[in-house]
Amino acid sequence: MRNNIAKGGNSMEMKILYLPHELIIQILLRLPVKSLIRFKCICKSWFSLISDPRFAKTHFELTTAHTDRILFITSTPEIRSIDLEASLNDDSAFTSPNLNFLLPRSYSDLEIKGSCRGFIVLCCSSNIYLWNPSTGVHKQIPLPPFGSNLDANYFFGFGYDHSKDDYLVVSMCDDPNSATFLSHLEFFSLRANTWKEIECTTSTHFPYMNACDDPRVGCLFNGAIYWMAFRHDISRNVIVGFDLMERKLLDLQFPDDFDHEPTNCGLWVYGEFLSLWAIDYYENDTVEIWVMKEYKVNSSWAKTLVLSIDDIPTQYFSPLCSTKSGDIIETDGVTGLVKYNNKGQLLEHRSYCNNASISEVALYSESLLSLPDANEQA
Amino acid sequence: MASSSSNLISLKTSDGTVFKVERALAKTMKTVQAIIEEADANIYMIPIHNVFSHHMDMIIDYYKLSVAGKSKEFSVEKLDNDELKDFLLAVHYLNMEDLFEVLTQAVADRLEKKSVGYVRKYFGIENDFTPEEYAAIRKKNDWAFKGDDIEPEEDEEKQEE
Repeated sequence: MRNNIAKGGNSMEMKILYLPHELIIQILLRLPVKSLIRFKCICKSWFSLISDPRFAKTHFELTTAHTDRILFITSTPEIRSIDLEASLNDDSAFTSPNLNFLLPRSYSDLEIKGSCRGFIVLCCSSNIYLWNPSTGVHKQIPLPPFGSNLDANYFFGFGYDHSKDDYLVVSMCDDPNSATFLSHLEFFSLRANTWKEIECTTSTHFPYMNACDDPRVGCLFNGAIYWMAFRHDISRNVIVGFDLMERKLLDLQFPDDFDHEPTNCGLWVYGEFLSLWAIDYYENDTVEIWVMKEYKVNSSWAKTLVLSIDDIPTQYFSPLCSTKSGDIIETDGVTGLVKYNNKGQLLEHRSYCNNASISEVALYSESLLSLPDANEQA
Repeated sequence: MASSSSNLISLKTSDGTVFKVERALAKTMKTVQAIIEEADANIYMIPIHNVFSHHMDMIIDYYKLSVAGKSKEFSVEKLDNDELKDFLLAVHYLNMEDLFEVLTQAVADRLEKKSVGYVRKYFGIENDFTPEEYAAIRKKNDWAFKGDDIEPEEDEEKQEE
């Protein structure tokens, strides 16, 4: 690129100040994903640059504070991508990614089963897709050999292995052909493009069973995916994690004075901490938020907040994330989102649909990233 | 080793002005630092090409603010687009990490919500897509063009008239 420098301010000519290519890249690296997607239209060399996986990786890793958004899919279907830093009532703060690669259909059996580095795991009529709402890139992956009945799959999750720049889909479940509680742990590596089973070294099979009435999406935290589980060998509820780098399981304990059934609880990431939420239906219609102050230190669990859910019509609460200012955004389970401040006061409640069908909600990051070996585009 | 007059280094801008700056400030300019280190003898005066006195004024302003822990107060709002690009080029030449970061972010912030047409003009880029190619990319990524805060494209504004 040309390197002319316009001198002084007295010239009456409209000289264009050209910036060298490496400077342009530095500027582009500091733009948000939405702008970059738009600027793919500028010219062919910008299109190539912005579409380049290496640029996407540098861009994603440069931004220490990612633009996280909330994906809200109603069964209507309506797909919204919501800016979590804006007011829930600010309609200019959402976009509508399209899911046209899924054949036109009602999305009543669509489920979101994971989210990592801008990719969302969608399960729809026994198919699994990884989808980046920002770029439209998607890839279908095969069903797990043992966990092919996704509805009965209680331990399912998605994450990223930094050491190998690989994405993993993880599944642990009972063998459908067996009458006993034999758990198979398997994972799909994008790079290997195949499912692999992990053998249990301590006994014949992994001792984990579902602890909740319904399958929960794995909670991705610090390079591991976590679920609540019941260990039938020690008759105790635990928090089981799959370490994505080591590719093995580890256990965390529930807090000592934690008096809730896992089915009324959930795992999520509150700021920088692994956190548990628990709905207390019997006493006060409140929700307790517990935080693991020191990661992997079981004694460091502390109850940090108690919220009232009296004012939420669905009487349900499932936190998604916290905003930069410390507010908590959660889904009311059916129609919309609710925002509380960090003192437990209700700030906003917004419904996005009226019908009684459950919507799918997930937190995701905006990214230009592509999957290893992914080459399909919407 | 630089000039022996303790902590001050003399920098001469392209328009002939000599600035005596603290050694610590000169150290933030990797280009100047390299010149000083490569010199066998003491350097009396370091010429900095492509840098004018109005650039040095701003550089010194930024330096004073960051030493006082107030670097967030530094603003380039009053510079027009060309002045900002010009300043960015000077800072890039001097290889000043922090200020470079500030300025590239400032340019990015100015362009974030602008239309494709605006950005092309800003960088002096010609559109080398055919109308069909452009329409296809545009259609596929239509969501990125929507939003009240995004500047509409010129071709669209005309269509609405």
